Order: sequence, then C-alpha cells, then structure tokens
Amino acid sequence: MGVIYDQKIKLIMRYLNQKFTTLILTLSVVLLTIQDVAAAPFEDFFRSTGKIYVVVAIIAITFLVIVLYLIRLERKINKLEKLQQHESQTS
Amino acid sequence: MIRQSWWKYLGALLIIYVIIVGLLTPMKPGVYEFTPINTKAGKSFTADIITYNTHYKDSSQLRAWLKIDTSYALLSSTIEIQEVNKLKVTFDIPNYNPSTSDVVIADLVIDEKDEHFMVLPQALYITQDSSQVDEGALAWSLSNIENLSENTDFTFPFRWITEESMRNLFFHVSIWFAMFILLIIGIIYAIKYLLSKDLKWDIYSSSLTHVAIVFGIIGMLTGSFWAKFAWGQFWINDPKLNMSAVALLIYLAYWVLRVSITDQDVRARVSAAYSLFAFAALIPLVFVLPRMMDSMHPGNGGNPAFGKDDLDNTMRMVFYPAIIGFTLLGLWISSLYIRFQLLWESYMIKRSN
Repeated sequence: MGVIYDQKIKLIMRYLNQKFTTLILTLSVVLLTIQDVAAAPFEDFFRSTGKIYVVVAIIAITFLVIVLYLIRLERKINKLEKLQQHESQTS
Repeated sequence: MIRQSWWKYLGALLIIYVIIVGLLTPMKPGVYEFTPINTKAGKSFTADIITYNTHYKDSSQLRAWLKIDTSYALLSSTIEIQEVNKLKVTFDIPNYNPSTSDVVIADLVIDEKDEHFMVLPQALYITQDSSQVDEGALAWSLSNIENLSENTDFTFPFRWITEESMRNLFFHVSIWFAMFILLIIGIIYAIKYLLSKDLKWDIYSSSLTHVAIVFGIIGMLTGSFWAKFAWGQFWINDPKLNMSAVALLIYLAYWVLRVSITDQDVRARVSAAYSLFAFAALIPLVFVLPRMMDSMHPGNGGNPAFGKDDLDNTMRMVFYPAIIGFTLLGLWISSLYIRFQLLWESYMIKRSN
C-alpha cells in the first residue's frame, strides 16, 4: 500500500515539477512567508535611501518574469528538436 | 522584418539607456518630513523639516513660505540649519486665517539660492477659533513668493512619498503601454486571420497576445510591489487594480481556451473572435470604469496622472524610449515564439503526411 502511494506521489511530483506555474506559485509562497517572518527589516530596507531599492526590485521582477518565459519557450524548442531527431533516427 | 535584427538591437539599446539614465539621473531636492502638522492661528510655530538631496550651508540663502491657495503667502521669521538636510523653521502665524472656515491647509515652499525650490503640498493644518477674513487676508498677503531658483540641470522632480521610486514609471508604466501595443498588433493579426483564414496569421496573433499577457503579469507584480511602498499594501481594494485583474483573468482564459481546443481551425477561429471581445472588454475595464470611481491610482477618479508637474520633460526623455524599448523587446520575444510555432506547424504537417 505504502509503496503504491509513494509511487503515486512521485508521479504527481514529477508532473508538477515540469510545470512553469508551480515555480511561480512556490516563489510567491516563499516570498509571502519571508515577508511574514521578517516584515520589519524587509520594509525598512526598501524604504531606506528614498525607496531606491523598490526600483531595483521592480527591475529584477521584470527581468525574472521575462527569463522564466524564455525558459518556457526554450523547453518547447527542445521538445521540437527531440521530436525531429527521433524522426530522423527512425526513418 | 521578423528576421531582421536591427530593431531587436534598437530595443535592447533603448532598455539599456533607460536603465542607466533612469537610475543615474539625480533627483531635485525635496521635502521629506515636516513636523508637527497642525498649529493654531496667532501662535509662533516652529517646524522640524527634513529634506532630501540638499546640502545646506548658509541660512541667508534660504527662504521658506507657507502658502494658502494661490494668493496668500507667509514668509518665515527664522530659519536655522541643523544639518545638511535638516532645518528648524519658525513662522509667526497671523491671528486670523484668510478664510471663514475653522481650518485651512497650507503648502510649504522652500527656496535655496542656486538650487531648485521645493514644495510640500498640504503640509500644515492651521485652526482658528474665530474668523476675521479681512484682517487674515491682509496679514497673509504681506509677502509674495518670488524669485524662486530653478535648477535647469538634467534632474527628475522629487515627489513626496514616491521619492526615488518615481523611477518605476519607466518600468511599470511603460510595460503596461507595451502590453497594449502588443495586444493591438495581435488584434490586427486576429482580424487578418478572420478575413483570410490563413493559419499563419493565427500564429502571429496568438504569440503576440501570449507575450502581452506575460507583460500584463509583470505589470501587475511590479505595480503590486510599488503599491506596498507607496500605499502600504500589496493589494488595495481599488477599482483600477481590481479591474485590471479582471482584464488579466479574461486574457488568462484566452490562454486556457487555446490549450483546450485541439482542432486547429476551430481553435484559430474561436480564439481570434475571443481576443476581439477580450480587447473590447479590456478598454472599459482599465481606461473607463476606474476613471468614473474614486481611485488611488494616478490617472483615475479624483487623481491626476503623472503629467505636467510630475512627468516633466526630463522624465519624458526616458519614459518614451522606455515604452518603445519594452515594446520592441516584446515584439522580439513574440517573434521567437512565432518562428517556433511556424516550425512546429510545418513539422506536424510533414509528420501527418
């Protein structure tokens, strides 16, 4: 019973791991947790020096989301490459 | 065009320019803190003022006024420099306000010679027990605000609360603009598809819309982070925010819709029609409805956009290139997606034969 259960969990985890959305969800959960734990220092830091670090964080967020999208695109291209390779090997 | 690279490099260069100039241009001096915020008419009032980006040396170069409306001003009696960015300013508030109401709100104006003048709107609440409008008006019109120093260097204006995070305008706002431009181009291709039924145009349209959604997500995340440090909350119950979230959900449904239909022609037709309706819903949700309600967001009900005072010509010189740069970046990313999808389609056709 336990073995089957473990296998099922493994399958689910493998499925989830591939998912772009899971990454974003995990990230946001982590960020929210950090914010809860260390709310005061986190805010003090971003409010210091005329709130310039807010700008830095926003540039980082912009870059991060674009990179995540590019990773997703690259995975699709990898898939196509693999399919084509597979095709040329079999024919 | 899609395989030419000059516009891609242009977009990258513009974004690099925006990051460098947008971050390195200094801010004009501004008032950071003003305490206490209320006083009574007829008393001598001393305020502690903390300013930003100032280097006070000589108090004879400094002048400060309290200003009510556009016609009344009161010059300070003494100014004492405590640190390079700290002042103690005393005002002898006249016995009566130039108004019949119990309380008037005064703006603060500070001018340093050879620097740029600063304004703190709604700095001080002055209460009075009884009113004598004529006497108050006379006492408040003894001094005029004149000969303000203006700094013509390349600097950004300082705004209270926003402070340095004003520079987010180049990223948060221009990404929303880029999203709209990408969506409009996507709509043009959707119409082209509906007229010609050529699947190539469906690929163009859907790729552009996908990248626009990603830009929308970036706009939402960056806006949320900015809101935390401008308004105090990651998300507030504000029409502009809620409506743009609704609009984004409509577009996420577009994403789901395309995945869920397997037949190519049906998918192309349904999604082209859906994107037309989604865009038709987006315009009132983001541009019309928030303007009709009270909103914290600049450019909406009871709240001016960053224009005129805030968005001065120095910021425009970074803001417009930012819009063009992010639009070109979005077009670049969508061109990659388009090329991938075209390859994928031709591969699928080859395989089915």
